[in-house]
Amino acid sequence: MALELNKRYLQYFYEPVAESFEEGFWQAIKQKRLVFQRCKKCKEFLHPPRPMCYKCHSYDLEWVESSGKGKIYSWVVFTREVHPLYRVPFEVVLVDMEEKGVRLISNMAEGKPEDLYFGMPVEVVFMPINDEWSLPWFRPAKK
Amino acid sequence: MTIKNKACIVGIGSTEFSRVSGRSEIHMAVDASMAACHDAGINPEEIDGAVKFGTAGQNCTEFTTETDVARCLGIRNLRYFVEAPWGGGACCATVLHAALAVANGMANYVLCFRSLKPASGTVRYGRPTRVPIDAHWSYTMPFGFASPTSWVAMITRRWMHDTGATNDQLGWVAIVCRENAARNPRAIFYGRPMTMEDYYKSQMMCDPFRINDTCLENDGSVALIVTTPERAKHLKQKPAYIVGAAEATAWDSYCMTSYYRDYIGIQEMEETGKELWKQTGLSPKNMDVVQFYDAFTSLVPMQMEALGFVKVGEGGPFCEGGDRIRPTGELPINTAGGMLSEAYIHGMNLITEGVRQIRGTAITQIKNVEHVLVTGGLGVPTSALILGQGR
Repeated sequence: MALELNKRYLQYFYEPVAESFEEGFWQAIKQKRLVFQRCKKCKEFLHPPRPMCYKCHSYDLEWVESSGKGKIYSWVVFTREVHPLYRVPFEVVLVDMEEKGVRLISNMAEGKPEDLYFGMPVEVVFMPINDEWSLPWFRPAKK
Repeated sequence: MTIKNKACIVGIGSTEFSRVSGRSEIHMAVDASMAACHDAGINPEEIDGAVKFGTAGQNCTEFTTETDVARCLGIRNLRYFVEAPWGGGACCATVLHAALAVANGMANYVLCFRSLKPASGTVRYGRPTRVPIDAHWSYTMPFGFASPTSWVAMITRRWMHDTGATNDQLGWVAIVCRENAARNPRAIFYGRPMTMEDYYKSQMMCDPFRINDTCLENDGSVALIVTTPERAKHLKQKPAYIVGAAEATAWDSYCMTSYYRDYIGIQEMEETGKELWKQTGLSPKNMDVVQFYDAFTSLVPMQMEALGFVKVGEGGPFCEGGDRIRPTGELPINTAGGMLSEAYIHGMNLITEGVRQIRGTAITQIKNVEHVLVTGGLGVPTSALILGQGR
């Protein structure tokens, strides 16, 4: 089941926009790559991105390729429609990424809501939304 | 130095709470403000300060300005005005700012107000209409993660997992609030109590939340008048003294989706509580009745834990069966029905009920009330307030 988009309502897709310091994240996603911001100096991951490392106050930041792997930290299942583009029921998952301290809000590309569990291993898969955007969704990790 | 007993709430007013108010936000704000002035026994022209709700991120959550109200009430000029931000997190902060102003002579009478028209207006809460396209929501909205119910459902599922809290326990919060509302003619759910069967039969909105886990969506306005104890002596009502008031952000607060810190809880309320207990020297055991911000059922036991009423893991069991949170219990909550069952005015109707408990005029009046705790919205930076008898 997972999330099915009702493409009739594609015009209502919320196109991501970015602050100047977030552009690296969203530009990579457009290219079907998942990257996270990291401080070059103290190696702290910063997500959602920031203009400066909050920890060591360095401006020397980099974009690091993600392993794309994570574990389900929490989730919800929409059972009543709030947005016509998103057919219910569908899951929104909060994924603890392998990169320390990074969590992503996303959707499931495969599987059923009742199969989700805390700590479930998942991996990223890019889902084309419209001509411009693909989004990082997740599926159960392949063994 | 603290603000203890240097200011008090001397007037409360509200409109009716309805699904269709038939008038604009400004109109309702004026009605509630006039009612608060009449309640206090002041002429609206005496108001010289105002605190309105401000913004939450880039979401405009209050469309009625202090000048809208001032020109309708015939207030010649305001010499103090400020916004308390973060939606429902602002409710007790409005009183905090008003108290600071009157205690320091910046204003004599401060009007705090909130007017909402989500039931029949153009902006419905819980619907992704007029959501600003901005960087913050880009991590949320493109995934269809588009309602306050879902944002709080996410932290609730994790909290239930970590503490072992159950759906039954959430159901009891909803049932007790509904019982309180059933006695309250102002409440949307006046005369309509609910059983556990009703709770489970209600539509699943966003698992784990059913519709009966979520607050009402209604039109209405609430206004408060804050002044000094000296001025209060000459007014109509017994003053509700502001014993303490606090507001707080927490580590990595992120509007409604503070999901990027170790634990996705309500740390903003933990911080607010620490500040409030430190400021007043009081503790949870001194609170005779609490008006918990109850936009969603789970937030009641979560706040009990965050504020230290119980240990982590005990909030859910505390609500089980409802007896301990009923008016006859050890910790009566939301005696007018709360936002689950009286009305959703972003927490301002919790403050008016707190004032009535201090005055001794509540419909579900708790005996010998010395202190009332009122709390603000969760998922955002928030605030809390202790009202007292001035002793």
